[in-house]
Amino acid sequence: MIPEPTRALDLDKLFAARLQAARARPYLATALFALHTVESRSVPTMAVDRHWRCYVSPAFVDHTPVEELAGVWVHEVSHLLRDHHGRSDRVARERGLTGPGERLRMNIAADCEINDDVYGDGLAWPQDVVEPGSLGLPEGQLMEDYLRQFRLGPRTQSHAWLDCGSGADGLDREWELGPNGAHGLSAQERDAVRFRVAQGIKGRPGNAPKAWQRWAEEAFQPPQPWRELLGAAIRSATSGSGAGQDYSYGRPSRRSAGVPGVVLPSLRRRPPRVSVIIDTSGSVSDAELGSALREVAAISRAVGGRRDLVSVLPCDAAAEVVHPLCRAEGIPLLGGGGTDLRTGFAKALRARPRPDVIVVLTDGQTPWPSAQPSCRTVVGLFPRPYDSAPYDSGAHDEDNPEYVPDTPPTWARVVEIGSTSAAR
Amino acid sequence: MPSYSPFAAPDAPSDPTHISQLDIAGDLLARLRDTTTEPRPDIQLEALTLAVAADLPVLLWGEPGIGKTAALTQLAASLDLPLTTVIASVHEPSDFSGLPVIGDDPAEQGVPMAPPDWAVRLVRAGRGLLFLDELSTAPPAVQAALLRLVLERRIGDLQLPPGVRIVAAANPRSSAADGWELSPPLANRFVHLQWTHDHDVVVRGLGGTWPRATLPRLDPERLPEAVRFARRAVCELLSARPGLVHRLPSNETRRGGPWPSPRSWEMTLCLIAFATAAGSSREVLSLLVRGTVGDGPGLELLAGLDRMDLPDPELLLAEPESAVLPERGDLRQAVLDGVVAAVRKRPDKARWDAAWALLVRALDTGSPDLVVVPATTLASLRQQDWDVPASIERLAGAVSISRRADRAAARAAVATKASR
Repeated sequence: MIPEPTRALDLDKLFAARLQAARARPYLATALFALHTVESRSVPTMAVDRHWRCYVSPAFVDHTPVEELAGVWVHEVSHLLRDHHGRSDRVARERGLTGPGERLRMNIAADCEINDDVYGDGLAWPQDVVEPGSLGLPEGQLMEDYLRQFRLGPRTQSHAWLDCGSGADGLDREWELGPNGAHGLSAQERDAVRFRVAQGIKGRPGNAPKAWQRWAEEAFQPPQPWRELLGAAIRSATSGSGAGQDYSYGRPSRRSAGVPGVVLPSLRRRPPRVSVIIDTSGSVSDAELGSALREVAAISRAVGGRRDLVSVLPCDAAAEVVHPLCRAEGIPLLGGGGTDLRTGFAKALRARPRPDVIVVLTDGQTPWPSAQPSCRTVVGLFPRPYDSAPYDSGAHDEDNPEYVPDTPPTWARVVEIGSTSAAR
Repeated sequence: MPSYSPFAAPDAPSDPTHISQLDIAGDLLARLRDTTTEPRPDIQLEALTLAVAADLPVLLWGEPGIGKTAALTQLAASLDLPLTTVIASVHEPSDFSGLPVIGDDPAEQGVPMAPPDWAVRLVRAGRGLLFLDELSTAPPAVQAALLRLVLERRIGDLQLPPGVRIVAAANPRSSAADGWELSPPLANRFVHLQWTHDHDVVVRGLGGTWPRATLPRLDPERLPEAVRFARRAVCELLSARPGLVHRLPSNETRRGGPWPSPRSWEMTLCLIAFATAAGSSREVLSLLVRGTVGDGPGLELLAGLDRMDLPDPELLLAEPESAVLPERGDLRQAVLDGVVAAVRKRPDKARWDAAWALLVRALDTGSPDLVVVPATTLASLRQQDWDVPASIERLAGAVSISRRADRAAARAAVATKASR
């Protein structure tokens, strides 16, 4: 299975390390065992390619203790499970990053994402490992975020030899076997392995650290930034129920004159009216609120709304952000006051003519109307800063265990705003 | 205007050898169009072909200008069907639901809904590929009329014959200019295929060589096997996971996409049978299954298919000497675990010995760390009067690896305690 080398790769040591890794991280065992080992003198340590082959330097295995090798196994397989090659390619395309220097930065950023929780707890820290701390960066972020925060320079000088292979940064190396080489995993097989690992973590969430649980939740979610979701929700809400541009038999078409005896519908246009209710209880930052409100205004203009058809109902605390913004965007302000969202709904629905869509920007800490309002509702939900749990997981205020906030009602379409998972 | 233009006729019309500028332009165009093709596997096109052959409505999601129309042209040629393209966004709803034509006595005779000419031609031909392009930029009323056409195959009073296949195309939500979005019941009736372009193919095609996909052919001899296989795959999954039978999409990111229901499982079953009969790869099947029931249930089904491919533990126990174990480590461990589980279920000396023989064989043909867990479990199944087989000596390598891992784990624990 492995070509005969001049100085043999110590397979027993390597596999003992893999066994230890699988025992320390049982939820990663499937992925660890799915890797195909290839002996290589071109890699400084160990490296993976995007086809799930693991290249190993015999000299590195010789002078590294088993417990450190085990950590490297987990590190390399983490690159593959977290799809760092695919994400690197996407980032490179989006931000126009080219050249080997940028790929080295991606490798370092990917290492930062992995390393803050991969070692310890049964796995030893290898030497010279890249950590967010050693670059002066905070822990717990994603590769895409780290990538914005450092440049190659004196601090990263010690990592210039770092090479985790194309599995970590998407750049094909000449010593790799490539897509047509032996023992590679096809795209479908790779997805299947990642899926099994994710299922295993979700099945027994107690065993895996938080970062892996988050990964398992999001591994097979398509990347969908909140702006697009909110836009789609508002567009679909405004284009239904007689608003927007649509055909109608209410009036004869101008084409009818040319086709006697045939009844043609005509294209009617009725721009949608959008009411934005803003409820902040202090936990939402001005920047978040501003960007969300600006987004709503932009979307309603894009679907044919006019400035005078978008109105904003601020509730107390937000007023100082909302007022200048609305002046800048030319949006008429309505009302104010009232911390209960139900009064906001009542006020919006009292307006004549009635809105076609109500958009609510809130952190969800509010009672909701008991009955469905007479128009479509889109809820933009700000995550609460002191509790990252999603709104439907039964999260509650730790200071007051009696208080359980209502989740947004099922008749509203809910978009979570500002979640950082957009980059995945 | 006397000014000179490159396409103007030259000054000497009497010259017999002169060629008009338009002819030269035509020559240049001919050279530009002179491209060759090369065979190249195309799993997107293969998936589309199978879904169309299975007579399921397909929805292609892709950015504009990505080659959806070119793919449809190739598909129509290979299935030998005339292609009718209808750009949905330039039509009115009545073009799909039928135009009300008022006759002499509407109260007596009713108002017939007259179909457009292309529909009449399609019905007259009896067969064809109808491509509904630009679904996403059409106004809602047009989309509503189109969905009736896709799902009920009716245009006005006209019923499309069974020989007509329908494919629709839409832009993804992020690039759609207005409010097209599938409601869950409608999304459930489509096979959703994401249409993307392959960078290499485009560059090579612009260089003069376009790919020519070899499309799947259904093998008449494999039909019974295909049906059996498809039924077994879907039924085994759904009897083990009843929750997967029907699950509405709960979160905003999954809206408008595929989700599991009895209807979409039936479509999946049909697609598995077609892919099996055509001998298609797992990649193609993966696109189809995930496009019909969604990513999660689709991946579970595919994982189930992978397990169905693994050798049966009972057959391995019957002939351990000639057993062929999978090359891939994770699959190999799954097989060995299965063998040990089979011995545990019905323990006797002969089966226990056979399992040891299998473990030795696994050790000889692959990496030793995979054997450790099954060997430990198998050893614990030993009963008092069973002698340890001689072959167990050869598992010493695995035991020493296990000890080595234990020692390393102990050192790591000490080091972790010391450093943090």
